[in-house]
Amino acid sequence: MARRYDSRTTIFSPEGRLFQVEYAMEAISHAGTVLAVLSKEGIAIAAEKKVTGKLLDLSLTTVGGEGSEAWMAGGGEKIFLLNNNILTGLAGITSDANSLVNFARNSAQRHLYSYDEDIPVEMLVQRLCDMKQGYTQYGGLRPFGVSLIYVGWDPLHGFQLYQSDPSGNYSGWKATCIGANHSSAASLLKQDYKDDITLEEAKSLCLKTMSKTMDSTKLSSEKLEFATMTLHADTKQPLAKIYRPAELDELLQQLELGGTKEETVGVGEGTGGGGSGGNIAVST
Amino acid sequence: MECSFGITGKDYVLLASDMSAGRSILQFKSDENKIKELGPHLAMAYGGEPGDTNNFADYIERNMRLYHIRHHHALLPHAASSWIRRSLADSIRSRRPYSVNLLLAGFDTTDDTPHLYWIDYLGTKAVVPYAAHGMGMHVSLSTMDKYWHPNQDRRDGVDVLKKAIAEAQHRLSIKFTFNAIIIDKDGIHTVDLAAEDPIGKIEAEKAAKAEAEAAAAAAAAAPPAAAPEASAPVAAAA
Amino acid sequence: MSIQEYNGGSVVAMVGKDCVAIACDLRLGNQATGIAMNFEKVFPVNDTLYYGLPGLATDVYTLREQLRFRVNMYRMKEEREITPETFTHLLSSTLYEKRFGPYFLEPVIAGIAPPTAANPNPQPYVSTLDSIGCITTPKDFAVAGTATDKLYGAAEGLWEPDLEPEDLFETISQTLLNAVDRDALSGWGAIVHVITKDKVITRTLRSRMD
Repeated sequence: MARRYDSRTTIFSPEGRLFQVEYAMEAISHAGTVLAVLSKEGIAIAAEKKVTGKLLDLSLTTVGGEGSEAWMAGGGEKIFLLNNNILTGLAGITSDANSLVNFARNSAQRHLYSYDEDIPVEMLVQRLCDMKQGYTQYGGLRPFGVSLIYVGWDPLHGFQLYQSDPSGNYSGWKATCIGANHSSAASLLKQDYKDDITLEEAKSLCLKTMSKTMDSTKLSSEKLEFATMTLHADTKQPLAKIYRPAELDELLQQLELGGTKEETVGVGEGTGGGGSGGNIAVST
Repeated sequence: MECSFGITGKDYVLLASDMSAGRSILQFKSDENKIKELGPHLAMAYGGEPGDTNNFADYIERNMRLYHIRHHHALLPHAASSWIRRSLADSIRSRRPYSVNLLLAGFDTTDDTPHLYWIDYLGTKAVVPYAAHGMGMHVSLSTMDKYWHPNQDRRDGVDVLKKAIAEAQHRLSIKFTFNAIIIDKDGIHTVDLAAEDPIGKIEAEKAAKAEAEAAAAAAAAAPPAAAPEASAPVAAAA
Repeated sequence: MSIQEYNGGSVVAMVGKDCVAIACDLRLGNQATGIAMNFEKVFPVNDTLYYGLPGLATDVYTLREQLRFRVNMYRMKEEREITPETFTHLLSSTLYEKRFGPYFLEPVIAGIAPPTAANPNPQPYVSTLDSIGCITTPKDFAVAGTATDKLYGAAEGLWEPDLEPEDLFETISQTLLNAVDRDALSGWGAIVHVITKDKVITRTLRSRMD
């Protein structure tokens, strides 16, 4: 029965469901986990990388940087700077994600052009979700197979954390998770989150939850991307920091979560969380 | 023949405009309000080609309102100035440009700072502590240069404004009537320039309003005991 | 009076030894009437590249915002900073887009590219464009704005090759101040940026306020 309503994104099934949208969300629940924790002092975001193999040439990519360097730190595959004041972590189909990142960056720059201010965080989230929603309604297209976590700061509402899914729904959170094992990670976060958490505690909670969510026992920069959004100590302006591999390993060592090279899992065999299906080739 | 002034102080910004409307040497009206409120903490004094002025002011007003409705908060003064400037800059290179000059005044509630922008029909924008458009630019800027100083309080600000207006009345052959507003953290208030102490009058109005609100809040918190049946279902539904 | 002189203002840039400097006055006028004394006409692109836009003030804002958009997108897509040479051509084509209704500006660019494998020893770079994007790249200095003729005179007299950063600062400051003091439409304060390989020194100058 369901098959008859599978092929078109725009047609409801008799039970009132949009199958293609649900399948897109299913694809994402096999993707690498992305997890973020909000505090009054800033936000921490971590993302699980799917290691593709030792033949992948990463020699020309630059990963990590702070402030203006973060603009040019797009060598990662999961965490991107969308604007001065907004970082995103993506779970889903990489090519769809790239297209969304480009759209988001353009939107942010258009806002800057019109209003000479950084785009407010929720406005950018809305821009992306308006587009994602469009692909669930207008014919002939498939929805974006991407969920996003947005972390950002603006003068009106301070630090904010949002997530959005392929249907175009979005919501604000104190701590949230998308991708593989997101429901178990969410319950862990719910247990351990406190409202008066510091940034250091948020970073720790973020990575500790990540280590419990991922299959491997030890974390390292080979399997993880990490970033924070804080305020600059002097200027009080938003400061995005995407951790360089060495910085992340140092942080992991401090937290005793790894940070050293893992001998047991060979490069290219990293299973990650929930990546047992056939989606690895197209999802990050 | 127009004249408008803007003056910032420590925690407020003043805006004043003449109230005349006419053509060349004829004056048709002397009670035209040429200050428009654009939001809870934003207003502009505008002048220029008759017709263009009202149309452009309405266009700005409605776009500011639309932004407020869409995003649940008003544009901050700086962002609003940027958008209004762009509207005029696009207009000047269009087939039929608006011929409107304006002073934009606002109070930024996120960092409690007053803002004043001098904007002309070309889309030129200057961020200034005090400014004038129209005839005031020629006769009263030097008055403001002399008497304005940073972090002055409200009464000092009104004094500078009165001096600037007096200079315009003194030097120009046209007689103006002025209306004025002040914007602070509480919003926009009308300044009665004819009053002996315009600021004292606003303070009194603020106090009276706060008192009335407190009384209303107290009444709402403790509903009259006479009608317990009527209020009970409402509380249950909430 | 031409539309380029409507608001007044001037910019000058100079080449030094492993450094460049760019400076502007701070006046914004409405013909002879002074409106603001905080109107900067020189803007950073990044830590090693600045540009100045003397001319019609409305176009200063519009072009600056347009360039900021394009440079930000370039930075994110290319994952590197734009070089002075590339930026000059970006600016040139942006101006030429408006060939038959130009921005009334004469941009000046100053910077030193960071060293790369392809270009291990980048040279100080100063360039200037006309209002429709024709590029001129002098070896010594570039001037533009309402005090152009006075700036030429002062710069010809004061500039010499291979000035160190502090000497270049003195030279460009004296050049600008002496030129704008002789121009009714420029002045009301000035700001100077000296760009070296590892830092930018920015200083505000006090000047005659008449």
